[in-house]
Amino acid sequence: MQPTTDREAIADAANPLGLDGIEFIEYATSRPQALGQVLEMMGFRPVARHRSREVLLYRQGAMNVVINAHDSARPRSVAPGETPTIAAIALRVRDAAAAYRRALERGAWSVPTHVEVMELNIPAIHGVGASRIYFVDRYREFSIYDVDFVPIPTVDRAPPALAGLHWFGIVQYIGNDRMADWSEFYRELFAFDVLPDSERFGILPKGCILRSPCRSFYLQLIEPEPGIVDVEGEESLQRIGLGAPDVPAAVKALRTRGVEFVESSDLHSDNRGALTKSRLGGVMFELVHDERAAP
Amino acid sequence: MTRAAGFIDDFGMDTITLSGSLPAKLAAMRDAGFTQVMLKASDLTGHAEGVEDAVRVVKASGLRVTGFQVLRDFEGLSGHLHDYKVDIAKAMLEMARAVGAPLLLACSSTSTHATQDLDALARDLRKLAMLAVPLRLKIAYEGLSWGRTINEFTTAWEVVNRADAPNLGLGIDSFHIVAAKTPLDALDEVDPAKIFLVQLADFMWQEARSFEERMTTARHFRVFPGEGVHSEQVAELVLRLDALGYGGDYSFEVFNDDYQQIPPGAVAERARASALWLGEDVLRRSVPLPNAMRLRKAHAAAMEHSPR
Repeated sequence: MQPTTDREAIADAANPLGLDGIEFIEYATSRPQALGQVLEMMGFRPVARHRSREVLLYRQGAMNVVINAHDSARPRSVAPGETPTIAAIALRVRDAAAAYRRALERGAWSVPTHVEVMELNIPAIHGVGASRIYFVDRYREFSIYDVDFVPIPTVDRAPPALAGLHWFGIVQYIGNDRMADWSEFYRELFAFDVLPDSERFGILPKGCILRSPCRSFYLQLIEPEPGIVDVEGEESLQRIGLGAPDVPAAVKALRTRGVEFVESSDLHSDNRGALTKSRLGGVMFELVHDERAAP
Repeated sequence: MTRAAGFIDDFGMDTITLSGSLPAKLAAMRDAGFTQVMLKASDLTGHAEGVEDAVRVVKASGLRVTGFQVLRDFEGLSGHLHDYKVDIAKAMLEMARAVGAPLLLACSSTSTHATQDLDALARDLRKLAMLAVPLRLKIAYEGLSWGRTINEFTTAWEVVNRADAPNLGLGIDSFHIVAAKTPLDALDEVDPAKIFLVQLADFMWQEARSFEERMTTARHFRVFPGEGVHSEQVAELVLRLDALGYGGDYSFEVFNDDYQQIPPGAVAERARASALWLGEDVLRRSVPLPNAMRLRKAHAAAMEHSPR
């Protein structure tokens, strides 16, 4: 039989990277313990420490959050500030090296990595603002955390998800007239789709929603309000969206742990979603109704 | 110093026209009443106190940066030549970003090492546009009239269309249109929202037939619009762009050996006279016609009511 490639494009065009969800989300902050407290209120548990850097791994269910407080001495590296920022998204892909090469061929900026002896070299490209996008392909046969992290003694390394919480998406703030640019960026590099305006989730439906080619998470791009002249450098990953099969139940469970929610006439918790009050100068989580329970 | 009123805010100067240091050029432009400046990479790299200080000087000047030039011979290369040009492009994008430019000008390749396949050219320009996205930059692609494959705005527009990236558009230079004798009717095919920059210049010769003649003329004998023998055509171009709804910037790109030998202030005054001619006499910006108030975004709508 002849190979089909010279006749038809039969490759999985809809998901060329074999994208398969989010492996971890990384925050950068100079106050890791303060952010750790916020994460613990949200149901995450500290499970491991990085071997060589001031980096902690938190987990609940299938969600991994990394807190990076490592202050690199390298020139031009940005030291983490007090206010935690979402510094990176790690994407699960079929083949990290291939995904990385494909992204570079299409105009991504590579991030030089500086690994220590016996640590994993995880390829990364530049995302919005100072953030990065990692490609991870080892999430089935073994965990990347087994290599770079040391487990914290006595803790449960697989704490269950609170109220079925799971990754739903990430909200990105963008500048004026930048919707088309960023939509094209995510389409070109990762094959995200733009959802029609009629398809919206949760209680904060602004902007434009992009769906991952694996259909397991979303990016929501939000421009400044009309008439607002934005300031240079204000594009960033703004908040994490967590899916919950039963939002009121999740809100109740989180309230008992001390989490406060925004409750105003314009914006309040309901069956579709909820928004936690901002902590530490800007850390907030959005709950979004999503029937999928955490695995 | 106060200036006589005159509407020249749509027009700016390229630093390449003036001699002297970067601060001297910026001061001459500002003193002549200009509010924007088109920078070239060597303004930063050649600044005695270094690139970082050049960025500070530009920001302190109060002039808005029209754009940053120029990435040459980028598209159509392969293998190590392509990788090399990507590195150069990245360095220029970073400088453009640092100095607050909204766009990088890329001009069509003159290289015989580059392919002539339009789809391959488009693919490279699309990649350049994606490189520019995180830095919040646009790419204006300009067809040089001595470009090997792309040497008119018509074919440049074809490649921009094939590349189909939101932050990739056209840079239009009146010199190349006049030199290549591209019919202005072809502008009707272009989406005005995809014209990211217009550069204007006139020149002294009636014709520039060969590529060599065009290159020599373009690099040494340009003059400001209104000073040469093609002023009618430059005025016609500006009027057509205005009628199409182009609401972006015009910059004077005047390479002229004589202007390098006289004080920058005197050259900037000539630029001012040219801007006044285009702004007041050609576009009639300050004529208070009813319903002709100019707001950039609303410009296209306003045009429908504006008597011409």
